[in-house]
Formats: sequence, structure tokens, C-alpha cells
Amino acid sequence: MNAGSKRILVVDDAATVRMYHRQILQQAGFLVDEAVNGIEALEKALNSPYDLYLVDINMPLLNGYEFLVDLRSRDIKQAPAIMISTEAEQHDRARAFESGANFYMLKPIKPADLLKYSSLLLGVGG
Amino acid sequence: MGFVKSDQHDFSGDDQRKSSRDMPGLLRTLSTGNVAERRWAARDLAQYPQAITELLAQLRLEQDRTVREALFVALTQSGCPEAVEGLISCLRSEEANVRNDAIEAMKLMPDAVASVMHSLLHDPDPDIRIFAVNILESLRHPMVESWLLDVIEHEEHVNVCATAVDLLTEVGSSAAELPLQALRRKFPDEPFMHFAIEVALTRIQGG
Repeated sequence: MNAGSKRILVVDDAATVRMYHRQILQQAGFLVDEAVNGIEALEKALNSPYDLYLVDINMPLLNGYEFLVDLRSRDIKQAPAIMISTEAEQHDRARAFESGANFYMLKPIKPADLLKYSSLLLGVGG
Repeated sequence: MGFVKSDQHDFSGDDQRKSSRDMPGLLRTLSTGNVAERRWAARDLAQYPQAITELLAQLRLEQDRTVREALFVALTQSGCPEAVEGLISCLRSEEANVRNDAIEAMKLMPDAVASVMHSLLHDPDPDIRIFAVNILESLRHPMVESWLLDVIEHEEHVNVCATAVDLLTEVGSSAAELPLQALRRKFPDEPFMHFAIEVALTRIQGG
């Protein structure tokens, strides 16, 4: 299994954050797609499920929690999800895991950490 | 506007106005009616500034998202200081939806929000300061860039600054160049900040 065969969806309403995560992951060989909110992310995931989701919490239209709950309820190939947020409160973390997240990371993310945990969740050498 | 989704609003069929439309009748419907009735009551209560307290109280209890959206629209239309204060209290909610809807609502109230922006940008809670920058995203107000520059010059929290830089990438002018370069020195060990500043400067310098 190698990074090049793995597809990752980056979901964040902040363009700079999407670009940053895309650049880090692409340089490591992952295939990266982007969505600006939960609705677009859900449409893309239903059309062609991904191997990993990086999901921001606070987004307009459909937030990160709602996206994951909806995704987990669908009869599609499921994949791990990392919830990414500026919020360090315990209730935010708890809500993320209740919604179906597999890991929780605080912004801003260091490139090495993003690669380490993405690779771990994907089961590829990182 | 983020919180108005046309596919969620079906005002036909059972969604009829059956009760009294004066303020007491609307308030009764707002607290006891079905979803469609509560939605109509919220919409109609927008014309009663004295109903702000009840609209805000219902907002804290309301579980249906479409009714909540109607409540936010009513508060936005009111634009009075009490409505703004109520929306600020929603920014402190543990519910992400309530926070996001409050942000979207406040984007539509440039004059009312301008009067509280300084205090929001200096709130003790960094999350509130981030939400304040989020509100600036589509706030049609001539002070937006000045507020953002003030944030990156004086703010110490990396995520508040990062949110401001992201927005400066869209709205920043040449006036932002020196403050952005100075910000690099404030966070020498934050790769994301350096990346975001580079993106913003490239956009600003490229026109």
C-alpha cells in the first residue's frame, strides 16, 4: 500500500487552510481533493468515497459534525476522519468523536503531524 | 447567506396562517405551534421590536433548523442593539450550528455590528475573536481592512491571526504588506502562518 493510491478530501471553508493541507499531502504523494463546506463534501463523498477525510468543524451550510454524522449514516465505503478545529474545549472533542471522527487535531497543524496521523489512519508508511 | 436554504422552506399546504397575527398571538404560536407555524410566527414577529426578548428565548430552545433560521432572519431585520447582543450570546453557544448561523446573521448587519466589532475583536475568548473575524468576511463596511490590520498587529493568538490573514488574502490592499511581513516575525515557528502570509502577499502584490 502506498500514499499514491490514497485519496484524501480536505473540507474547510478557509481557502488558505485547504491550500496548505493540499500542498503538504500532495508532496507526500497523496491524491487530494477539496470541499468548501459539508454539503459539497457530502456530494463528493457520495459520488466517489475517499480513503480519509480532514474536516473542519465551523463551516457554513453544513458544519463538520453534521457532515460526519450524515456520512456515517450512508451505505458507502466508510473511511477514517480527522476533525480539525481551533477549539480545544473537551466538549468539542467529545462531539467530534460522537459524530464519527477518528482523530482530533488543533489548528494550526504542523506538516509532520498531519502526515504522521494521516499515514497512521490510512495504514501507509509515514 | 449561509443560513437560508430555499429547499428547506415549504410554506405551502399545511403551512397556513391559522392563528391570530397580533403580537400576543404570534408569541403564543412561536412557543406552542408546529414547525411551520413557529416558522411563520418568527417571520412575522420581525416587525415587533419589542418581541426581541422572546425571539432570543425561543432561539435557545428551538431544535428545528428552519425555525432557527427564521428566528435569525427576524433578529437581523430588527437590527436593534438588543438583537445584536442576543446574536453575540449565540456566538458563545456550544452548538456549532447556532454559532455559524449567528455569524451569518451578523454579516448582514454592518452598521449594527460595526458598533460592537472593537469589543468582539478584543473579547477574552479567542474563539469569539475568531468568529468576529469570520463576521468580517462578507461584512459590507469600509472599516473591514482596518480591523483586520489591527488584529494582525496586536493579536497574540495564532489562530485569530491566521483567520485574519486568510481574509486579508481576499480583501487586503497594499496597506497590508508591511503588517503581514511583521506578522511573520511574530510567529517564527508556525509553518501555516508563513504559508498563509505568503499566499496573502502574493495575491496582494499580484493585484
